[in-house]
Amino acid sequence: MKKERTGDNCRPFKLAHQIVSLTGISFERKSIIGFVELTVVPLRDNLRMVKLNAKQCRIYRVSLNDHYEAHFQYFDPFLDVCQSDTDTRSLDAFSSHHLAAALKVDPDNSSGELVVTIPPEAAHLVAEGTALRVGIEFSLEQSEGGIHFVVPPKEGSYAERGVHLFTYGHQNSSRLWFPCVDSFAETCTWKLEFTVEDELTAISNGDLNEVVYTPDMRRKTFHYSLNVPTCAPNISLAVGPFEIFVDPYMHEVTHFCLPSLLPLLKVTTRYMHEAFEFYEETLSNRYPYSCYKQVFVDETHEDYRSYATMSILSVNLLHSAVIIDQVYITRKAMAQAIAEQFFGCFISMQNWSDVWLNKGISQYLCGLYCKKSFGNNEYRELIQSTLQDVVKYEEEFGGIVLDPSQPPAPLPVGGNAPQPNQKHCEEKFYFPTRNLHTMSPMYIDTLLKKALLVMRMLEHRIGQELLLQVFNKQLSLATNAAQQKIGSGLWGHMLISTNVFTKAIFTVTGKDMAVFIDQWVRTGGHAKFHLTSVFNRKRNTIELEIRQDATTSLGIRKYVGPLLVTLQELDGTFKHNLQIENTVVKADITCHSKSRRNKKKKIPLCTGEEVDMDLTSMDDSPVLWMRLDPEMTLLRSVVIEQPDYQWQYQLRHERDVTAQMEAIVALERYPTPQTRLALTDTIENEQCYYKVRCRAAHCLTKVANAMVSNWAGPPAMLAIFRKFFGSFAAPHIIRQNNFQNFQHYYLQKNIPLAMAGLRNTHGICPPEVIRFLLDLFKYNDNSKNRHSDNYYRASLVEALGQTITPVVSVVAQGTPITAESLSADTKLILEEITRLLNLEKALPCYKYTVSVACLDAIRKLQKFGHLPSRPTLFKSYAVYGHFIDVRLAALECLVDFVKVDGKWDDLQYVLDILENDPDPGLKHKLANLLIKHPPFKRAHRGKLDIPELVERLWTNINCMLSHDSRLRCDLVDLYYTLYGTKRPVCIPLLELAGIIDLGKYEPAAKRPKLATIPKRAASPPAPVKEVPQQVVMETVEYVDLEVVAGEEKVEKEEEVMDIKVESPVLQKQDYFSDNSVSLPGMGQSGPVGFEPGMFKKDGEKHKTDSSGKIKKKKKDKKKHKHKHKHKHEHKHGKDKEKKEKDPNKLRLKEETLSSMSSTPSPNGMSLGSTETI
Amino acid sequence: MEPQPNVYRKMLAAAISSMLLEQGYDSVEREALGTLTEMMQAFITETASLSKNYCELAGRVEPVIADVILGFVEMGFNFNSLESYYRTVKHSAVLPPLQQQQSQKQLSMLAAGSKQPLPSHIPQHLPQFPDPHAYVRTPTHKQPVIDYESVREKAAIQKRDMEKALTKFLAKTSQTHNLFDTDEANIFPLIACKPVYPPYLSALLPQDQIFDPEDLDFDPKSQIIQQQKNHDRAKKKIKAEIKTEPGEEVEQEVDHNESKNSEDNQGGLIDNPYLAATKMPGVMEIS
Repeated sequence: MKKERTGDNCRPFKLAHQIVSLTGISFERKSIIGFVELTVVPLRDNLRMVKLNAKQCRIYRVSLNDHYEAHFQYFDPFLDVCQSDTDTRSLDAFSSHHLAAALKVDPDNSSGELVVTIPPEAAHLVAEGTALRVGIEFSLEQSEGGIHFVVPPKEGSYAERGVHLFTYGHQNSSRLWFPCVDSFAETCTWKLEFTVEDELTAISNGDLNEVVYTPDMRRKTFHYSLNVPTCAPNISLAVGPFEIFVDPYMHEVTHFCLPSLLPLLKVTTRYMHEAFEFYEETLSNRYPYSCYKQVFVDETHEDYRSYATMSILSVNLLHSAVIIDQVYITRKAMAQAIAEQFFGCFISMQNWSDVWLNKGISQYLCGLYCKKSFGNNEYRELIQSTLQDVVKYEEEFGGIVLDPSQPPAPLPVGGNAPQPNQKHCEEKFYFPTRNLHTMSPMYIDTLLKKALLVMRMLEHRIGQELLLQVFNKQLSLATNAAQQKIGSGLWGHMLISTNVFTKAIFTVTGKDMAVFIDQWVRTGGHAKFHLTSVFNRKRNTIELEIRQDATTSLGIRKYVGPLLVTLQELDGTFKHNLQIENTVVKADITCHSKSRRNKKKKIPLCTGEEVDMDLTSMDDSPVLWMRLDPEMTLLRSVVIEQPDYQWQYQLRHERDVTAQMEAIVALERYPTPQTRLALTDTIENEQCYYKVRCRAAHCLTKVANAMVSNWAGPPAMLAIFRKFFGSFAAPHIIRQNNFQNFQHYYLQKNIPLAMAGLRNTHGICPPEVIRFLLDLFKYNDNSKNRHSDNYYRASLVEALGQTITPVVSVVAQGTPITAESLSADTKLILEEITRLLNLEKALPCYKYTVSVACLDAIRKLQKFGHLPSRPTLFKSYAVYGHFIDVRLAALECLVDFVKVDGKWDDLQYVLDILENDPDPGLKHKLANLLIKHPPFKRAHRGKLDIPELVERLWTNINCMLSHDSRLRCDLVDLYYTLYGTKRPVCIPLLELAGIIDLGKYEPAAKRPKLATIPKRAASPPAPVKEVPQQVVMETVEYVDLEVVAGEEKVEKEEEVMDIKVESPVLQKQDYFSDNSVSLPGMGQSGPVGFEPGMFKKDGEKHKTDSSGKIKKKKKDKKKHKHKHKHKHEHKHGKDKEKKEKDPNKLRLKEETLSSMSSTPSPNGMSLGSTETI
Repeated sequence: MEPQPNVYRKMLAAAISSMLLEQGYDSVEREALGTLTEMMQAFITETASLSKNYCELAGRVEPVIADVILGFVEMGFNFNSLESYYRTVKHSAVLPPLQQQQSQKQLSMLAAGSKQPLPSHIPQHLPQFPDPHAYVRTPTHKQPVIDYESVREKAAIQKRDMEKALTKFLAKTSQTHNLFDTDEANIFPLIACKPVYPPYLSALLPQDQIFDPEDLDFDPKSQIIQQQKNHDRAKKKIKAEIKTEPGEEVEQEVDHNESKNSEDNQGGLIDNPYLAATKMPGVMEIS
């Protein structure tokens, strides 16, 4: 294989041009009638089939060059992911089916849902390099994904109701609203036409050429043309009664928003031009398109999504000039969307696995912009928190491989080849990482974060200037290619890939980054260092020991290479570059300075400043503090052991905010008066970064609580707060709000919150703190403020919620809780909360932040037994029609309620919303809430651990969510959280399945449309597995066919073999783990509780392997399972494909989802109409 | 109506009556007493008037006993007989003590401020000063308490009362949620929430505070930029003055740019396809 198979060369044709014309857009029926025409250039003379992507469309007719009618087939494997496997409820099995299904329609796998067969009479049209036009007429009715109609149930005109529609999708999901080649690698030019009603505006990609009335003058057609080759996933559309605002600084940029939001739009987009200027300047390249459009719509899938020449953003990003908190989020989102215009839209990718490049580069650019506009501290804090997120995810779920398309080159040196380790790394997730539509959204999020970090690491390796030059080169090449015709064959320059990028770095800088790419992009995981030190007084050296103990744990791998250690000594900052070669590295570093405790002299810092320090608490060692990899140039987590006074010095005097943050985290463990003082000084220090100060406040809460027995004086932070915010004449009364100083604003929000966490010796919040908080409410006066105080009020409510501790039961258990039985403090708190919540009904604040906080506080009161725990209130707030933040808050409370004392009915209520809510963004967020707070813990035998839930979730992931892969993968995550990868325990064993009907939960009642899913039709709920009929349609060519009969048997036989092979491995594992010294709590891999599927597996093994090992560790089983899966993956796939092509079943589908209707084409004339481009 | 009998005259009548008793009368006719009193009054008045004349004649303002004696003499009375009369006749009756004259009491509700005491040069028997508001100033309200703490306290209480009243009213007039299981006495009623379409409007256009239009349009950055621009321009001008020849060019350039910018800002000639007029169906066919 000389030439690797990539996303852009796997198809037997190239796409030159595509026309999309949507004519019948109906908001009443939420339907669309349209036509697309793809100009396809075959790469082979014998092209017989064109595979395209289309989902949930009803296709009426496919024509070739307008004259010939072509036959076509349509299938969507996601309508029933596990076809043959009706009884499996384990994610292990689902995973392989899921991947197979995704690959079956993956355009980069040269497949698609829509297979157009070129009829023999039109065969002459096909010739290599000759354009062939494939026209498709289709309609879209009651679409469930891909395109979203927002039609509020209200009377009035379109503008009054705010009716609009927009397209959305998870990664490449344009196929959901028009047939296309839904690949990031297949670019072509576009002509887009949309006919909409007179009062509406249609916004799409490219230049708006003209708007023309239809002959009846009641509708108008928007004609767009996009001459820059663009891939289908970057095509979008938004239609609505939008208000139009042309950017006053750049007339090429147009902003759109829904009616009556124009003033907000003007404020929100005020500085957007600066981002443009910044990017153009930084990349020394012009913006690649001729125009840019920003559309703010409601009920979005995600906050922003960038498409060619336009981005669709959430309406909730809009804000007025009096809002503070939202500004940061909005500006960042808009800047990121613009950065993605350069990398992501203009430059697409060769394979989906190159997504890390475009996302990484655009985030990196956006990061630079944020650094410029929000400051270096903000940027460093962002990088640090991103790194922490990545580390956290990887340690929980496994190392993320940015580009899994190609394994890293084997190390040239023999040694302990990490190759087997590699294999281990790759497939240990509970979902396949080989396709965008099967990956967990959490995984993708973290992958994108990691991409940013790796791009930043590259910046450190080759320098910012050179890295920008590499970007510039990519852009220049692409700009050049974009102006060429397809015949030039240069369109490939518009795609980026890991290899292309590595080569580009080499040509620009002369540095070969292949090793770096292998190490960080093609290998998953991060390094974990543990630093300890001992000071040797005699030799005046410090003996460092850096260990990498946990290299066998999940997500962690061994790092080999240079590592920077920074020591702050009395005489200055000294950097030491250590070479890490082993898991344990020891280094003796001679100190530059002698200990001199009593001499007064200023101490130079890394920034060059010299400061006075109080050195009384120091030990003999001249080292003030130590840091490891201070610039975050590695993907790592670091544990540094140093005494508390060193942390205190670090917090007080180190200038780097990340070091300060680390010190704050470390100081939680040292509740001493010195720590208290250091934290207090930090909070009061006006020179300090505000986030550090807020963090210090929260840390002080913990320190104060730990010191509660010997805490003297008023509650922590009370004096500080009064000093900053108390009025001059009466310090106990807060000043009138003035948020001109943002640092103070954030402190003012955070200190009450931190104080609310204080507890006295009885474990309750001190009464004076509660009184203090209530006074803040009482005296809050925003009348003279230039900014809104809604976030401040919300954080006060949140603080009130934080003060609540479990009720001290005065009344006897079991008596109903009444208003009279509340304690005095609780009454006051509740009064405050109800007043604010009621006030919001008449005078709502921005984004209902106060309501959100109130709901949360009420739930807390319920949870701690002050109020009867009831879900009714939250249910009414969770209803569609409330503001999304309020709904989410209510849903969070509901999910929490279900977790604590929910019944099946309540869970069903939540699941109903999850399945049927009109807002796709909310469903995703709700799924995340459920994952974060699952209704019960895995293997803990919760009340709700019942077969009905398994069935319901399974039905959803198996066949209900073909149109929304993100939600499907969310539910896979949820399923994993609840049941792990094995068969859920609550589901009876296969042997017993005959007794209990598995198919009890019938989704058919809910969605009659899908009632005829083939699975149900094909397999009655019986334990006996039917060997499916193999009917292979001739039209589809598949390379190799295997006999699938007796699959069950083969599987079992192989299982036996596997076990035998595996047993020595098992021993090795044991030996290994015995030897390595790991920290407590790390590397625990043995079963902790009963695992779902445990018994089942054992049972099977008993049956199949009489001599088999009964005792097996879970880990090994998992491994075994994986291998097993790999072997079968293929076969399952084929099996399904065959089933898919079973004509009977196809007909079933046809009735519901697509049409195979191919009216016999009458036209067999006009042969020479082929065009050459 | 009979006019209020004069106090002095009453006293005089009493004196006459007692004299008549001394003389041995038991009763007197009203007319006789009146005539006698009249005569007595005329006599005293005449005597006093004459005495005053003599006193003024002597250049005094207050009469002395000699003036009175001269007055008697003028009237033709022997002054010395007065003494013998006083000594010989036993005076049994004395004048009743003067009734304490109650000064007209001011109605307390109208009192405002404290009355000023009479200064020393004004005899104490003269009427007191009226209320100060009648001639000094008229305070229409109490002096406000202006210390910070109580002002804030008051404002806070006022605001809270208002909010409470509003929420109470709303809670009474609409459906509510109950946080407790019992129906009776919903002390903490929560107003039921109603979905509003489209939901984002009320959330993004908050009504909890009213801001000045300038706040809503406040753009700190543009102000800074404006200041900088002015500053730069000033600098450039200074530079241009120093360097004569190239300076002119610079200034021209600057002016050119500025004019261009202002033109752009006026927005008269924005070339944006979304602002263009919709074409008629015929137009497309022609093109």
